[in-house]
Amino acid sequence: MNFKRALAVSRRVFMDLKNDKRTLALIIIAPLFAMAIFGLAFSGQISDVKVIVVNDDMGMNTTIGQVYLSEVVISNLDPDTLSITTMDDLPSAISEIESGNAYAVFYFPANFTNITILAYNQMTEASTSVGIHIDMSNVNVADTIMQTFNDAVQKTMQERGLEMPVSIQKEAVYGANASFMDFFVPGIMAFVVYILTTLLTLINFVGERTSGTLARLTATPLRESEIVAGYAMTFSVVGTLQALLLLTVGMLVFGVNVEGNVALAFMVVALLAIVCQALGILLSSITHREAQAIQLIPFIIMPGFLLSGVFWPLEALPTWLRPFSYLVPPSYAIDACRSVMLRGWGLDMIWIDVVALIVFAAVFLFLATLSLKRRG
Amino acid sequence: MHAIKVEKLEKKFGDFRALDGLDLDIRKGEVYGLLGPNGAGKTTAIKVLTGLLKMTAGNAEVLGTRLPNKDITQRVGYMPQETALYLGLTVHQNLEFFGKLFGMDKSKILEREAELLKFIDLERWKDEMVTNLSGGMKHRVSLACALIHEPEVLFLDEPTVGVDPELRESFWKFFGNLKEKGITILITTHYMDEASHCDRIGFMRTGKLIAEGQPQAILREAGTKSLEDAFLFFARRGK
Repeated sequence: MNFKRALAVSRRVFMDLKNDKRTLALIIIAPLFAMAIFGLAFSGQISDVKVIVVNDDMGMNTTIGQVYLSEVVISNLDPDTLSITTMDDLPSAISEIESGNAYAVFYFPANFTNITILAYNQMTEASTSVGIHIDMSNVNVADTIMQTFNDAVQKTMQERGLEMPVSIQKEAVYGANASFMDFFVPGIMAFVVYILTTLLTLINFVGERTSGTLARLTATPLRESEIVAGYAMTFSVVGTLQALLLLTVGMLVFGVNVEGNVALAFMVVALLAIVCQALGILLSSITHREAQAIQLIPFIIMPGFLLSGVFWPLEALPTWLRPFSYLVPPSYAIDACRSVMLRGWGLDMIWIDVVALIVFAAVFLFLATLSLKRRG
Repeated sequence: MHAIKVEKLEKKFGDFRALDGLDLDIRKGEVYGLLGPNGAGKTTAIKVLTGLLKMTAGNAEVLGTRLPNKDITQRVGYMPQETALYLGLTVHQNLEFFGKLFGMDKSKILEREAELLKFIDLERWKDEMVTNLSGGMKHRVSLACALIHEPEVLFLDEPTVGVDPELRESFWKFFGNLKEKGITILITTHYMDEASHCDRIGFMRTGKLIAEGQPQAILREAGTKSLEDAFLFFARRGK
């Protein structure tokens, strides 16, 4: 392999990217766009969910006067998450859910306070319950409603000094003050580089094939391995710059915190870019036209989207599907970047991810070179 | 002395024989034209000789080196049928890139670039993006890229397709100049009238030569006025 020739290829790809204003804009804007859109959309905060309270609670006459436990629970419902309205009768409240105007109805029966207090003091065998009528068609919203209600009940009990027999103490080992964006930026850094590098090389290389430049290159002393190495050099630099840009904007605009050594995270991203450019070249060998390359895009994006753990934890996948995430290179990069940036881990801890990426790079570089060597 | 020597060259694509026993013997400094209809195997022959395709059987030598051989590319220039340029780069950037692939240093590239741009009359367009050039200009840049490293043998695959008559005329003038410098040229074309510019021509049909010689000699042998009629004569005789 001749390094000068590989460098010439690398420079050529750089100039191509630089001269093409649209591609340049894509390289710069797409990562920021992705971060802003996904970051804001997936920030995990569900808010202003419409719920209706129907409160028939008669309260209880105690030494400190009339007590309404239901009122306390209601006032403890998180007002950011739930947008609460009150209604008088249950059937018409439920019909609000049926017509799609509300997600849930909380119903407090007449004996709510009475039974609760008597039962707590072991003065009755009876029990009472809050009826929650809920639209489960949106799982995320439904879960949030249930969670919010549980929180309010617990808070009420604590305020009343009603001790639970078991208390839970949470002690953060990592990510004590981590916000959603802290978690999200390391992942999107690797994810964006995965998508853009694979697509850019694929499109660029299909261009080389259709325009005849690849044929011309073949008739020069340039070797196939030098072509692949040239592309790898360019895209590892471009990938690192994208990660740098994302992180800078993440820190300045979204206040992202970084625990560990950022340079290590960038190295992981550069390694991922090398894997992805080889993948792009490899994929270009099974396409003959740009139009066919476009058909491949879903097959690049979807596995990365679903199996890499960038948006949903891998634990959210069915067990049989989880092993497939090992086949998706960004999984390793995302895991490594998060470990470095959120947990402050070093190379001694993320080496398995790094080795996996190196193995991917070696295999894909080899296959990409082989695919170019194939002659009709 | 041979520049290109081809014996019983065969190239099969599946069951289809694109080259079916092609023989060529081209001397140094010769301009040799391969003529024939589409699908005769002209482009396949050039692709095998430039290392783009593997031969199925037979023997091919370029400048005394048996193919396939990567080292020989250093001494060979190839202009494909397609424009085959980086449209997003300028004329200069294209020439510089190909120069580097042949291991030329910067000053040598610049020197050679100046010569070539003058030769193809595009000095003013040096820093223009190739995509903004007209079709004919692109063809000329493509030729310059094939010549940047001063090759001894030049393979030109249909260099005049889609080129207007005026430019075609000037192309043949270029090729004449190159010949004077001792460069061997193998050119394919299906414009029969152009072939009179060649020292020798070979008529190709279904993957092999059906006639070969100096254009005048071929006309005499066929007893026709035009090479087109001569081709038809040999094609019928071949059946």
